[in-house]
Amino acid sequence: MSIEPLEPEVAASRGESEELEAAEVSSSDRPIGRDQVPLESPRGNRRRGLIVVFLALGGLAIGLRLVQLQVIEHERLAARGTRQKSYVEVLPAPPGDLFDRDGRVLATSVVTRSLFVVPEKIADPWPCAQRLARALHIDPDRVCERLAQQSDKKFAWIKRRLTPDDEQAVASLGLPVGGWGLREEYVRRYPQGPLAAHVLGLRDVDGNSRGGLEQTLGEVLRGRPGRRTLYRDARGRVIDVPDDTDVPPQPGQSVVTSLDSIIQLYAERELDRVVEQWKPRGVCALVEDPSTGEILAMASRPTFDPNRPEGVAEEAWMNRTIAWMYEPGSTFKPFVVAGAIERRRIRPDEEVDCAGGETHLGSRLMHDTHPYGLLSVADVLVKSSNIGMSRIAARLSNKELFSTIATFGFGRVPGSGLPGEIAGLLRPVKEWSSYSNASLSIGQELAVTPLQMISAQSSLANGGTLISPKLVLRTLRSTAEAETRLPLATSVVSRAADHETARWLVEGPMRDVVLRGTGTRAKLPGYSVFGKTGTAQKLDPQTHTYSADKYVSSFLCGAPAAAPRVIVLVVVDEPSVGGSHYGGTVAAPAAAEILRQTLAYLRVPRDESRGEPHDVTAARPVP
Amino acid sequence: MYFRFGAALVLAVLIAVSGIAIEKRCLTLRRALSRERYRYEVVRDLYARQRLLTQQLGAPARLFEVLESERRELIARKPSESRDSRMANGPVTTRRD
Repeated sequence: MSIEPLEPEVAASRGESEELEAAEVSSSDRPIGRDQVPLESPRGNRRRGLIVVFLALGGLAIGLRLVQLQVIEHERLAARGTRQKSYVEVLPAPPGDLFDRDGRVLATSVVTRSLFVVPEKIADPWPCAQRLARALHIDPDRVCERLAQQSDKKFAWIKRRLTPDDEQAVASLGLPVGGWGLREEYVRRYPQGPLAAHVLGLRDVDGNSRGGLEQTLGEVLRGRPGRRTLYRDARGRVIDVPDDTDVPPQPGQSVVTSLDSIIQLYAERELDRVVEQWKPRGVCALVEDPSTGEILAMASRPTFDPNRPEGVAEEAWMNRTIAWMYEPGSTFKPFVVAGAIERRRIRPDEEVDCAGGETHLGSRLMHDTHPYGLLSVADVLVKSSNIGMSRIAARLSNKELFSTIATFGFGRVPGSGLPGEIAGLLRPVKEWSSYSNASLSIGQELAVTPLQMISAQSSLANGGTLISPKLVLRTLRSTAEAETRLPLATSVVSRAADHETARWLVEGPMRDVVLRGTGTRAKLPGYSVFGKTGTAQKLDPQTHTYSADKYVSSFLCGAPAAAPRVIVLVVVDEPSVGGSHYGGTVAAPAAAEILRQTLAYLRVPRDESRGEPHDVTAARPVP
Repeated sequence: MYFRFGAALVLAVLIAVSGIAIEKRCLTLRRALSRERYRYEVVRDLYARQRLLTQQLGAPARLFEVLESERRELIARKPSESRDSRMANGPVTTRRD
């Protein structure tokens, strides 16, 4: 080891020239051996020692700092570095489509782009707002206000769902790089327009489902968004998109509904005609296949266009078939008769005294529209005698009557699964008054939804089996997970009435209602139509009595009577013009027209020669 | 010694050049893949739009109006047409010999 001599000038300046010279002589003349140490001063040694110490401390400090960075704070700093370098982009998943039973698209999604800006990168909002507003045809004051309010933010929407022209206009503005961007979004479109709007529901601008099947099947339709990691340089420009970090978006499941667009259209057009002719407060229609419980059409008025939900009246949002209830009136009578026959309280071939059209029930006067004397059970239904029905119901105890009504599904949610579905109103027996038995027999003192009513009537039409109404058939990409998430695709079945009793009611009295009773306007050439009219006074909320001029008119019909393929219900709430309020006049023609068109569309063979209906009452044996 | 040194140098250069070539090829393929993905997305969006358009154009509500207006025209025209005018337009059925 050799020790470098100090510079002569430095040494001289510090008065050390003699030692330096001696050292120079010794170092130049003699080789330094193991036992020979260079001549050094104690101060020089100290200095070297200090340097070594400083270097050692520096090294130690650097080492400790490295330990801190690489070991102690490794995870935090690594995450920070990754955050600065990479950017995770969320890839929206395309929502599933909704189809009708024949594959027509009821709801689908298309990609649109929405413009956002980074307000903190916009130094002067007003000129920018003016340019944007000019290009996109929007109010510059509002844009400027938004930019000013969110000047410290990194994100602000300017316009959602741009058209291709808008996109070009924005691109030509030459906005500062990194100060704006287009974000892809899925926008929901309903190619059939307002058709079945209440069943489908809609999605708002943020893709959140609102009402209808969109809400019920939200989880199934939504899909799972993916993500993609982008690597950026210091200026924020994307420099790499590694493939291995991609999580592709999983599209939502497409769902096939039980609706048939054609039948739905028939129903909606008839409702429009009813609205035009009778100017009601509201009207709704249902078409169901009684053998499966599948809803073929579900329509309600007033309605809305899900493609343009802005400015829709509040009452138009309500799906009257499931979220509105009414006193059913005479359409309820067949269920009471079915209960009385099943419990052997009355025989179908018995006659009932209808008291000449007027009778007292305690202090209450009950009357029929026309005076009748003795009527058969069938004729009580055909003529829709209130007194006759009260006499039949009187043979049932209150508990038996309640049980009969509940068996047909009244008082509980039908189970279509649509949001907002209500259970109607069926009071427990302990709350019944002495008039309740008679009132319930003619469809008063309880409230039902149209869906409950058609489900119950379907149970009579199919031979006594109550099937929960079904709006969803299947998913298109059928996986085990999706199947379990589709509660609407299953049916709940229970026995509501004896098969023979149900058949007799449908092919006997209900058939005669159309042939010679209150529903003659529903006759269809070639088909054995059965039906039941309903005309119910509405309760006046102010006087708490039945109104003399507000009615709910309804008609329920189906065909062919021997093996019903279709059943139709039309309910008209408060027809205000036209001079009539009877279900046979207001609702029956519309229901019959829907039934006629549906039977023809489904190619249901005619079961009767034109204009010559056979007497099914005589042909069928009474149970 | 010079030969060995030169050979090692050439080998190192060759490996480096091959690596660069492979990297370039890899980048080219990734660019192509990215482009295809983009094209696929564009085509998929286009398909969705076209399907929406066809469904709108083929919506029963729209077709019914067309069909029914033609039917109404036919019904309105039929009584006004005389038997002679129909005969003048040619026979309704033709026989092929």
